[in-house]
Amino acid sequence: MATSRAATIAGYVAGFLLLFAIWHLAAIYLVRSALFPPPWPVFERAWLLIEDRILQEQIVASMRRILQGFLIGSAVGVPIGLAIGSFRPVRMLLEPWTEFFRFIPAVAMITVSVIWFGIGEESKIFLIAYATVFVVIISTAAGVGAVGRDKIRAAQCLGASRLQIFALVALPATVPYILTGMRVAMANAFVTIVAAELVASNDGLGKMLWDARLFMQIEDIFVALISLGLLGFLTDRVFRLLIRAFAGRFNPTM
Amino acid sequence: MGFVALEGVGKVFQGRTGSWEAVRDFTISLEEGEFFCLLGTSGCGKTTVLNMLAGFEAPTSGRILLDGKPVTGPGADRGVVFQGHDSLYDWLTALDNIGFGLRLRGLPRSERRATAERFLKMVGLTGQGAKHPSELSGGMKQRIQIARALANDPRILLMDEPFGALDAMTRAVLQAELSRIWAETKKTVLFITHDIEEACALATRVGVMKRGPGGTLKAVVPVDLPFPRERTSDGFMRVFREVHALIHEEIHGGH
Ligand SMILES: Nc1ncnc2c1ncn2[C@@H]1O[C@H](COP(=O)(O)OP(=O)(O)O)[C@@H](O)[C@H]1O
Ligand SMILES: [Mg+2]
Repeated sequence: MATSRAATIAGYVAGFLLLFAIWHLAAIYLVRSALFPPPWPVFERAWLLIEDRILQEQIVASMRRILQGFLIGSAVGVPIGLAIGSFRPVRMLLEPWTEFFRFIPAVAMITVSVIWFGIGEESKIFLIAYATVFVVIISTAAGVGAVGRDKIRAAQCLGASRLQIFALVALPATVPYILTGMRVAMANAFVTIVAAELVASNDGLGKMLWDARLFMQIEDIFVALISLGLLGFLTDRVFRLLIRAFAGRFNPTM
Repeated sequence: MGFVALEGVGKVFQGRTGSWEAVRDFTISLEEGEFFCLLGTSGCGKTTVLNMLAGFEAPTSGRILLDGKPVTGPGADRGVVFQGHDSLYDWLTALDNIGFGLRLRGLPRSERRATAERFLKMVGLTGQGAKHPSELSGGMKQRIQIARALANDPRILLMDEPFGALDAMTRAVLQAELSRIWAETKKTVLFITHDIEEACALATRVGVMKRGPGGTLKAVVPVDLPFPRERTSDGFMRVFREVHALIHEEIHGGH
């Protein structure tokens, strides 16, 4: 177990080193343009931005929005998904909604969100919550629908009430689906936050990208891009660990 | 009247392709403490009979009585061991799976544990209680299912081809264990199988079903042989041949 974890981490490190090496070679020998800097100046620039606490500020601004919107979206999405999965009338009533709204991407909602909520925090949090909620609803509902018939029957002939079947069978069996939905939603949140901050924001990584383009600070663009990639990579790892830890192990106490 | 009674029970399924009569005029009476094997070819309606007795499906005709009271739905008085092992809870340990029924009844944790440990021992898995179903073999999972059903102390144990998916050797071991457990607990058992030898090795009576559509009970063969059954004995051979002849007509269409 310990050795396999070490191997995984070694794999990550080697993978990233290879990526930077290719980037370096491409920038030095292939493209040779001021518009495509090699890694080293970008790292130097990143270090400078970290020393001045500028990069941290942008990261915190973006991640706070992501986290707030994501938590709101999940908190709304999970119960609705459970209700859709558990009750036929609710499904018939709400499924058209989810099937409708999930085809209106969050980035398409930016304009109306800014009109409603202004360019402050609310509009961004709304957009992230919007990007999160439908994915979570759909995967949660699918999870409830996928609970094996024999699992429910086994509980019935052990004497379970409807409420007990829900809390002790359907819910724990659905947890891996919920986490998987949240993982997909988190990826959506990254797409959405950048788009939203590009259009209307005073800080955040999207704003950093926009400013860097205006002032032709090419290294700053790369710093922002790498930050996004790393942050996304790390949050996704956290979800994968959670899913693995809970993969069929979630055990509610009652 | 017996402990469990199915009286003229029939089941017609309505599907997109029309209706299908799975079971017709099925009548049987089970005595308390007996081990009844229901034997039949695939698709003759065995699972349908068990599902109706378990209360998972309602009969379309006839009635089912347990202790004289009509069966209207699933209940803790009828424990079920399912054919596959999808019915186990992956998120619980083996021990917590066994104690699940007790948890539903709100028993304190220590009491649940003690009872679950006792049944874990009964099915020969002492020391394996902390494992999750994904860490158990097919045979072990069926042992857990049996322990889970028994720990809940049902009046009757309904088993739907519980060893059907196991390899021959594991199956033989589990048959012997089940026979021992049945002798220990004196539970009434309805055991479904399509394996003649299995039926003859376990049952106090073997019910042979006619093939479908309209599967029904064709004959009941009492097995008056001592336990544990000696599969090479003359007595066993005689019963085997008798049951085999009955089933043979079903396989080869001698209506
Ligand atoms: N829900 C259902 N809808 C329609 N037909 C069914 C259904 N369940 C079982 N049947 C049919 O009823 C017959 C008996 O099925 P089953 O009781 O599962 O047989 P067995 O367990 O003896 O193999 C089969 O022909 C099967 O296709
Ligand atoms: Mg069957």
